[in-house]
Amino acid sequence: MKLALRIVIFAFVILPSLSAFGGARHFGFIYEAPTSAPGSFELENWVTWARTTNPEHSDQIAFRHEIEIGVTDRLQASVYLADWSYENGPAHSGSTYSDSAVELIYNLTNPVIDPIGLSLYQEYKVGDRLFEWESKLIAQKNLGPLILAYNATLEAVWEGQGLAEREGEFQQALGASYEISPRISVGLEFLHEFVLPDWHDAERIRNVFIGPNVSYRHQSWFVTVTALAQPTNTPDEPDFQLRTIFGFGF
Amino acid sequence: MKEQSVCVALFIWLFWGCQSDSYTPPPPVTSQMLAASIRKESHANIAMLREGRTLFVHRCIECHTLPAVWHYRTDEWPGIVSSMSHRASLKPAEREAIVAYILAVRFQR
Repeated sequence: MKLALRIVIFAFVILPSLSAFGGARHFGFIYEAPTSAPGSFELENWVTWARTTNPEHSDQIAFRHEIEIGVTDRLQASVYLADWSYENGPAHSGSTYSDSAVELIYNLTNPVIDPIGLSLYQEYKVGDRLFEWESKLIAQKNLGPLILAYNATLEAVWEGQGLAEREGEFQQALGASYEISPRISVGLEFLHEFVLPDWHDAERIRNVFIGPNVSYRHQSWFVTVTALAQPTNTPDEPDFQLRTIFGFGF
Repeated sequence: MKEQSVCVALFIWLFWGCQSDSYTPPPPVTSQMLAASIRKESHANIAMLREGRTLFVHRCIECHTLPAVWHYRTDEWPGIVSSMSHRASLKPAEREAIVAYILAVRFQR
């Protein structure tokens, strides 16, 4: 049986017989400290449209299909079944499979009753001539209807023939989300990236992205949309990104 | 950088603005809270109230921020918790513990 067919059967036949919702996201580009309830399952679909005009115009739509599982009260695991994209640009047009990944989040402290909520994040990504390792510190504070979140991310990528090409990135992200009702939140997200080609900072590449987000939750599904613009005009980085995450539990 | 300064200033303003609104977190369980609960003919015990608080502050924030226990009437809370128990993967005993904790906080005041 083809792998794609197995994945579809797993997602739409096996999973619905399992348990409940994993939780809703308030941010599109920032992770939150709380982890999913033990025994919960959730399917998330991500769609990110990115438009780049420097140095050449191109549009890319990236897709992610993710299963999120609550393992214990503090541990959450996710499997990215597939990251793939459709691109329309001068160098390449068409769809490409990128990678699959495993992600673990361990919660240390609670953002409501502790001075600050902290979680540790680890991700391993494997693709066609690609291996990526990503670690993240997630900090969050809930103040009544306001959620403040901070992520510090360190990423290392090995890619190309024999995985000989190396790249790294350090990213800081800040977000605020205000719950105007139990179902609707609006907020802001801010990303600051330090791109490290060949794991060096000789080129001093810095990117900044900033933009609004909105999140809606209903019964066993949620949708979160974030639009980010890049005020820094770095070559080969998107001028504009729009991410939609749609999640539903069973 | 100008953009970063603006963002940092915005976050500091939001943080202090919310602090001044005194959003106090759900209080820890005390013997006075248990006594107040028992006076209202609750069958709760100290372990149940502690579990209720832990579940309240962990499970509910997976989807939304935590409402103040005063936000809804006493008779509304059991239905509200019950309506979200599937989403939060709450077993019946866990649901009862959350409601018992919320009501105990209210009875104490």
